[in-house]
Amino acid sequence: MNTIIIFSFFALFLRLTDLMILNHKLLSEKAKQQHIKVEDIQVRRGIIFDREGRQLALNLELESLYCEPENFHLDNENIRKLSFALSKEPEVILTKIPEEGKFVWIERKLEPDIAERIKDLNIKGLGFMNEAKRVYPKGKLASHIVGSVGVDNQALEGIELQFDRYLKTRGGKVFSERDAGGRTLSSGVNKEAKGNNIVLTIDEGLQGIVEKEIEKAMVKWRAAAASAIMMDPFTGEILALANMPSYDPNNTGKAKDFEKRNRAITDCYEPGSTFKIAVGIGALEENIATPHSLFDVSKGAIEVGRKTIHDVHRHGVLTFKEVIQKSSNVGAIMIGMKLGKERIYKYAKLLGVGEKTGVDLPGEVSGWIHPPERWSGTSIGAISIGQEVAVTPLQILRAYSAIANGGFLVRPHVVSEIISPEGQTLFSSIDNERKRILSSKTAEIFREILKSVVEGGTGEKASIEGDEVAGKTGTAQMIDPKTKRYSREKFVSSFIGFVPADKPRFALIVVVYEPKGQIYGGVVASPVFRDIANQALSYLNIPRRDVPYETTLLVAK
Amino acid sequence: MIRLGRKKNMMSLIIKPLCIVLLLAGQFSLIWLKSNVLTLEYKIGLLEKMKTEHIKERRLLLADKAGLQSLEKLEASSMENDGFVFPDRVRVIHIKRQRGPLPHKASLEKRQLAGPELW
Repeated sequence: MNTIIIFSFFALFLRLTDLMILNHKLLSEKAKQQHIKVEDIQVRRGIIFDREGRQLALNLELESLYCEPENFHLDNENIRKLSFALSKEPEVILTKIPEEGKFVWIERKLEPDIAERIKDLNIKGLGFMNEAKRVYPKGKLASHIVGSVGVDNQALEGIELQFDRYLKTRGGKVFSERDAGGRTLSSGVNKEAKGNNIVLTIDEGLQGIVEKEIEKAMVKWRAAAASAIMMDPFTGEILALANMPSYDPNNTGKAKDFEKRNRAITDCYEPGSTFKIAVGIGALEENIATPHSLFDVSKGAIEVGRKTIHDVHRHGVLTFKEVIQKSSNVGAIMIGMKLGKERIYKYAKLLGVGEKTGVDLPGEVSGWIHPPERWSGTSIGAISIGQEVAVTPLQILRAYSAIANGGFLVRPHVVSEIISPEGQTLFSSIDNERKRILSSKTAEIFREILKSVVEGGTGEKASIEGDEVAGKTGTAQMIDPKTKRYSREKFVSSFIGFVPADKPRFALIVVVYEPKGQIYGGVVASPVFRDIANQALSYLNIPRRDVPYETTLLVAK
Repeated sequence: MIRLGRKKNMMSLIIKPLCIVLLLAGQFSLIWLKSNVLTLEYKIGLLEKMKTEHIKERRLLLADKAGLQSLEKLEASSMENDGFVFPDRVRVIHIKRQRGPLPHKASLEKRQLAGPELW
């Protein structure tokens, strides 16, 4: 009996030695694999808000379907059921499932109802994994600003791309214990890591108004494209930026390249008559002309080098103010010739032509203007009327904002704040970048001139009831890429202005590319400006300036 | 001598079982504590799973809400179906209601009479 007991204890001792010493490393690794579960920390991109806190981009938890080919029974019945649930052809599903392997995706980020349908099928060898999906609840709204991400939440366009390092965060791994039944014990660690949130300067309401109106204009004039930007001329905050055609960032894979172009900053065009601001303010600043200086444009044409440039309508003797008001090419060239090419170039550069505005969106181009030493004999005439120079809509809007705000060049921006998940403000855009480029006196004089453009000039269709609008029309020929010459059919129609003229709440540019039927900025773009401005002023609760007191509303609070 | 021996026997009769009981009790209480901790960890694990599900649902609802509150859709449906239009831009003067009689101020400064504020 004693021998048996001793022998038993000895056997036990040997077994323990084998388990605890000889095979310790191997067995403890195996034990770890069995009872330690490693999970990835779910990374969530920060949310993008408009200036009023409305969500423009957020995250959803959706389930992605995967297959374990080794455990999946590849028969017609299973494939048929799956194809019905996914609304896809059986052949498409078959191509995704190899004969061997441990893991393969079938479909990423399914809608909840589709995931439930597949779960109800109870097909062995299929599993689900939670993944974050970036969702844009407003659809196409502000798509060129907000941007989009790919299927793995990698940034592709817009703010998503430009501020990717703030929006995303690092993940990691969480180790938690699980029991023999597979139940997980709490690790006490937060399994979600959130990126920083971004607040834009965009207003959803204003953005919607701008998009709606330029879309209507595109349809009406059968245009190839249209862009519009609304900006606070004092701070550079962009309140709305829209391009048509547009795309839905929720289906970025189906969008075509030309729909994703942010023409407002990536496409240049010859500004035409809207560029007369350069010679105009140059002449005033250099005291070459006053608003009442006279220019004889009765010939209706002027020779510059070997080229003759005509006025659209014949005028007689015009004042400086009337040259801008009636957009006389001959008058503008006369002013330009008086100013000289060096000073035209100087004021064009002061207005920001040929340089990026520094807007916080990807893909901005600088436009161009050749330095005076590269000008030909006709350049002084062409550039005075906005040809042989290329600008983006944002650049020319910024230039006009300098008139609106009393002479400062502001830095346009769309990001207002970056806020950490804990609520701490990491970045706030305080516009320190304001450079005075013209005197307040010149700005004031030119503002009056721009008012006259709308009151009795080419921009009459931009006028709105109850407020004065200051602005300028533009009509420019496009270059035909085949012939490399100015096209006779393709034009760019534009209107830039600000309202109310004396105390502007916003500056707005409307550009319509290749309108059909009419080409003039005063006919095509000005009414769009008017319609947007009317609705925007109402949305912003800005009362009319001309209100007689009997229509005043008294509200008790 | 016999008395001493008896005392010794009595002490060992009490102390030995007491020690064994204490040892066993200590072991069981350790096991009981450990199992309680494990139970709590299970419960917290379950609650965390519930929390994840709730957060998932909440995010779905927030996304739906954001979509439904889209100003573009609201404007289109309210204008088409209910005849809403943008309001006239009349001048609006807001008047604050007077909160009640203000406390009397004893001061050498000129007394300012309380009245409605205009903003």
